Amino acid sequence: MQVRIEAALKALASLKLTLVILVALAAGIVVSYNSEVRTTWALVVPLVLFAANLAAAVATNGIFRRQTALLVFHLALITIVLLVAAGRLTYLKGQLELAEGETFSGFLKQQEAGPFHWSRLDRISFVNEGFRIQYAPGVRRGRTENVVAWQDGSGQWQRGVIGDQDPLVLRGYRFYTSFNKGFAPTFLWHARGGGEPQFGTIHLPSYPIHEYRQALEWQPPGSRQTLWTQLQFDEVILDPERPSEFRLPRDHTLVVRAGGERRELQPGDRLELPDGTLEYRGLRSWMGYTVFYDWTLPWLFAACAVAVGSLGWHFWGKFSARPWDQ
Amino acid sequence: MELELGVLWAAIVFYVLGGSLAILSVVLKKRPERTVLALLATGLALHTLALGVRWERVGHGPFITMFEILSSNIWSLTVAFLLAYWRIPQVRPAAAVVMPILFVMMGWLMLTHPGEGHFPPTYRTVWLYIHIGFGKVFLGAVLVAVGISGVILLRSAGIGVEKFSPLPDSGRLDELSFRLMAVGLIFETLMLVAGAIWAQDAWGRYWAWDPLETWAFLTWLAVAFAIHARLTFKTQPQTGAIMIVAVFVLAFLTFFGVPFISTSPHKGAV
Repeated sequence: MQVRIEAALKALASLKLTLVILVALAAGIVVSYNSEVRTTWALVVPLVLFAANLAAAVATNGIFRRQTALLVFHLALITIVLLVAAGRLTYLKGQLELAEGETFSGFLKQQEAGPFHWSRLDRISFVNEGFRIQYAPGVRRGRTENVVAWQDGSGQWQRGVIGDQDPLVLRGYRFYTSFNKGFAPTFLWHARGGGEPQFGTIHLPSYPIHEYRQALEWQPPGSRQTLWTQLQFDEVILDPERPSEFRLPRDHTLVVRAGGERRELQPGDRLELPDGTLEYRGLRSWMGYTVFYDWTLPWLFAACAVAVGSLGWHFWGKFSARPWDQ
Repeated sequence: MELELGVLWAAIVFYVLGGSLAILSVVLKKRPERTVLALLATGLALHTLALGVRWERVGHGPFITMFEILSSNIWSLTVAFLLAYWRIPQVRPAAAVVMPILFVMMGWLMLTHPGEGHFPPTYRTVWLYIHIGFGKVFLGAVLVAVGISGVILLRSAGIGVEKFSPLPDSGRLDELSFRLMAVGLIFETLMLVAGAIWAQDAWGRYWAWDPLETWAFLTWLAVAFAIHARLTFKTQPQTGAIMIVAVFVLAFLTFFGVPFISTSPHKGAV
């Protein structure tokens, strides 16, 4: 039995098998890259084989007992494969939008997550306190500076600026500003049946990408009435001819169409509807964020550093025995 | 822009003179190596000046347009070959293979529009420089390996056997070229790691299989395959040389081909 296991391990540790696996991995990448449907198996199968091949080689090949650097390099490679697998099983990637002054409540607009992701987003709270984005001539976006406030571990509120390469990191979740941002009309909804008025915002399509499509269809909370809302303004916000900055228009009109009725609203105006009253409170901005969670990131970085370092150490030892110019 | 282009064309004239002389010295079995070094070094100094003037004018490094990518890679590949030419006299005749590759890139550069591109805010990070720097060392090491491999292949085809006689035997050349591939593997790995760190902070993900990431990883696999295959099968120098040329072709297509098949080499770059 033991002889059989040893023979199987040696077969699994074969350097020729390594070459076959490298080709299979390359083929899997090409298949996945060109495939319209999800083909995770094309990467997973060669990677599992790769890890098994490396582990068997480390266990059976005597060279790893003589060459420590090579051993460390191969162990680091196995670690990287295992960490990538663990990361894919537990990661989270999503998108959210927050109007200025709005608090993140744990709701993501879109998300994908590994099967073993245990969400802690409901324990996270931060507020979008507004942003600045400079534009170069030609409407070329510059740096994003988004002021955010969040509660730290002791419950104290902290403030900081995030944007582009600087995410907000809370409980391992990394919140990045995205290039999506725009205008957010705010409303108070007074339901016909009484009760506390509800405050809410609608996020018009991203600006300036959808500069000429600043309209949205939506329904007030608890209402069956569909409203078509369009933001109208004449001034140029982002001038293609000169440097400018994203800002709210100084003068604007909010056009609301409810059934056959069309109204132009200014902040403070009210619109009577069959099941309530809509009060326009004014215009704000909204910012789009991407959120990413992968607990393996620092470990992956460490494993990569060890892999490269040990590879360099291995080759240095090998080549220093004979100078390059001899 | 005229000053910068004028200096760049002057640099290319020096490169062509130095490179042609290096090729002629192989063909005529002469040894004007100091002159070759001086001409290439002068070209490199002028090229550095041209890149610096452009950097100052447009406010960012040569990383955005095809003109900038080609120009900066010609610069880095020339640095790599010049260092090898200076420090490893044995490989000097490999200029007959390396310089024509550089001439093709210079011709391509001259046909490319020198206009400016937009430098996105996600590029404003030190990791961009680290990532690109490692990539340039990788490609430089593979280019010199290709020069040596070209000599092995020419010899095995019976071409220029006598002209390349000052070079060591093909076994030693094979060893030298695989040393360079090992250096290439280290720097390709560093390039991928630095790129992943940049991508994580710039776009909120460290790896997304975008065209450039995919082809760069395929190149890494090809380098690993070539090194492993040589060890496993104790390959002949010709076989090793063919694998190195294949790796170079793949790397070349990754560096200069992907921007043509994808409008955004790294998705989310703008």
